[in-house]
Amino acid sequence: MSSIDWIILFGTLLTIVAYGAWKTRGSKTIEGYLKGDNTMKWWMIGVSIMATQASAITFLSTPGQAIEDGMRFIQIYFGLPVAMVILSVTLVPIYYRLKVYTAYEYLESRFDLKTRTLAAFYFLILRGLSAGITLFAPAIILSAILDWSLYFTTVLIGVLVIIYVTTGGTRAVSLTQRYQMTVIMTGMLAAGFIAYSLIPDHVSFGDTVALAGELGKFNLVNVEFNLNDRYNIWSGLIGGTFLSLAYFGTDQSQVARYLGGRSLAESRMGLMFNGLLKIPMQFIILFIGVMVFVFFQFHKPPVYYNHNLIERARDVAPEAIAELEASYDVLYEEKAATVEKLVQGIQQEDVGTVSAAKSGYFEIAEKERNIRNGVKEVIADAIPGAKTQDQDFIFLNFVVNNLPRGVVGLLLAVMFSAAMSSMASELNALASTTTVDLYKRSIRKEASPGHYVLASRLFTVMWALFAMLFAILASFAENLIQFVNIVGSLFYGTLLGIFVTAFYLKWVRGTAVFIAAIIAEVLVFYCHYFTDIAFLWYIFVGCFSVIVGSIVIQALKIKN
Amino acid sequence: MHESEEGRPPVFKSWNTWYWLVLGLFVLQVIIYYFITSAFL
Repeated sequence: MSSIDWIILFGTLLTIVAYGAWKTRGSKTIEGYLKGDNTMKWWMIGVSIMATQASAITFLSTPGQAIEDGMRFIQIYFGLPVAMVILSVTLVPIYYRLKVYTAYEYLESRFDLKTRTLAAFYFLILRGLSAGITLFAPAIILSAILDWSLYFTTVLIGVLVIIYVTTGGTRAVSLTQRYQMTVIMTGMLAAGFIAYSLIPDHVSFGDTVALAGELGKFNLVNVEFNLNDRYNIWSGLIGGTFLSLAYFGTDQSQVARYLGGRSLAESRMGLMFNGLLKIPMQFIILFIGVMVFVFFQFHKPPVYYNHNLIERARDVAPEAIAELEASYDVLYEEKAATVEKLVQGIQQEDVGTVSAAKSGYFEIAEKERNIRNGVKEVIADAIPGAKTQDQDFIFLNFVVNNLPRGVVGLLLAVMFSAAMSSMASELNALASTTTVDLYKRSIRKEASPGHYVLASRLFTVMWALFAMLFAILASFAENLIQFVNIVGSLFYGTLLGIFVTAFYLKWVRGTAVFIAAIIAEVLVFYCHYFTDIAFLWYIFVGCFSVIVGSIVIQALKIKN
Repeated sequence: MHESEEGRPPVFKSWNTWYWLVLGLFVLQVIIYYFITSAFL
C-alpha cells in the first residue's frame, strides 16, 4: 500500500471518530445518552438502520458471493419490506405510546418484570456473542490482507468505537453512521466503476452484462419450492419476513435506531426508507461483485485468494503448490480463449457459438474448481487447523491488487467503517439494555441521571472488552463462526414469540408466557443438538412454541 | 389508531399510501428480477 492509501485510511477513520465524539460530547441525561434526546429525522434513522444491519462482512462477503454463486443471495432480503410495513403498523406505535428506552420495557407493562428480564437476558446473550463476531470476522480478513496481527486489528476497531460511543451514546452512533455510510457507498461504487473500466475496450457494457448472464450470474429469483435450498423466493419471503420481524422489532440494536426519532412519523418513515432502499442496495453490491467476476475473466485471478495463507503453505510444501499453479496457468489460457469466443458469439448474436463456448467454459470452470480444491487440501495439510475457505478474501484481493492508489485506502476505510458502524449500534444497545432493563430496574432503582449515564458508559466499555476478547479467542476455535451465525436463530424465535403473544393474545398473562418462553428455548436447543432441522427453521419453532405454549398454559390456569 | 395520534406522514395523506408504495415497488423489483433471471435461462 502506498502512503496516500494509509493517509486516506487513517484520515477517514480518525476524522469520523473525532468529529462524532466532539459533536456529541456532554450527554448528561439518560434520555440524551440512550435516545439522543429524540432529535433524529427520518432519513437519519433510515441510514442508521441500514448501517447497523450492514456489517463489514456484508461488504467483504457479498461481492465474493456474487462471484462464486451469482446474485441469488438477494432473495434472503425479500421479507424485509413486508416486515417494515408490519412493524410500522403494529409495534412501533406501541413503543412510542409507552415512551420506552428499550423494546423489553414494553414486556413489563404488558406482562411482568420476570418476562421483561428474561427477554433482555436472551437479547444480551445473542447480541453479546454477535458483537464479538462482528469484530472478529473483518479483523481476521483485514489482518491477513494488511499483514497486521489479529490483536492489533481487533483492538484498533474496538478502541475507535469505544471513544465515540462512550462520549456521545446513541447520537454519536447515528451521526458517525451517516458519514460511514457515505464512505461505504462512495468506495463500493468506485470499486464497481473501476472494475468495469478495466474490462477490455472491445467488450461493451451490454456485452459485459450478457457475458455475466450467460455464465449464470443473474440467477436472481428461483421460484422452485425446495426446503433444502437456502436461497429461493419462498424461503426469502416466509423465512425472511420472520427473521426481519424479529431483528427489527425485538432486537434492541435496531429498535434503538428508530426510538431516537423526533416523532412516530419520523420513525415510521425511517422504516419505509429501509424498506424501499435495502434490496436495491444489496442489488448494487452484488452487481459490483458481478463486475469483478467479469474483470477476472480477462485478468488472471490468483489460484487462491488468501495470499498470506498460501505463502505460509508454500514454505512447507513448495513443490505441491508450484505444480498446482502451473496447471492453473495452462487452464487459465484455455479459459481466456473460450471467454473471447463467447464474447464474439454474444456480439454476433450467434446462438451456436454462444452455446458451444458456454459448454467449454463450464468444463474448464469445473477443472479450475478441482485445482482450487487441491490448493486448499495442500494448505490444510501444511497448516493444521487453517480455515481454507477464501471466498471472503476475493473482493479485498481484487481491491489491493488492481485498484489505483488512494482508492485502495478508501476501500479499506469502507471495511473498517462498516465494522465500526455495526459494532457501535450493538455496543450501544447492549449498554442500554444492561442499564435500563437490569441495572436501573433491578439493582440500583434510585440514582441520579448522571449515575445512569456513567453506568451506561461503563457497560459500553465492558461489552466492548467482551467483544474484543471474544474476537481474539475466536481464532482458536474452528467452528465458532458457524456457531455464532446460528445464535441469532436460536434466540430470535422465542423473542418474536413473546412479542407476538404480547400483541395479539391479550388474555395471556406474564407467568404463562414466561414458562412458555423457557420451554420454547429448551425445544429450540433440542432441535439444534438432537435433530437435523436447518437452523433457519429454529425461528418458526421458537415463535410458535411460545405462542402455543402460552395459550395452553394460560387456558389450564383459567380452568383451574 | 387515529391519524392525529400517529402523526401525519410526509408527502401523502395516509400511511396506507406509503405502505402500498413500499410493497408495490418491492413486487415490481421481484418481477424485474424474475424477467432478468428468465432472460438467461
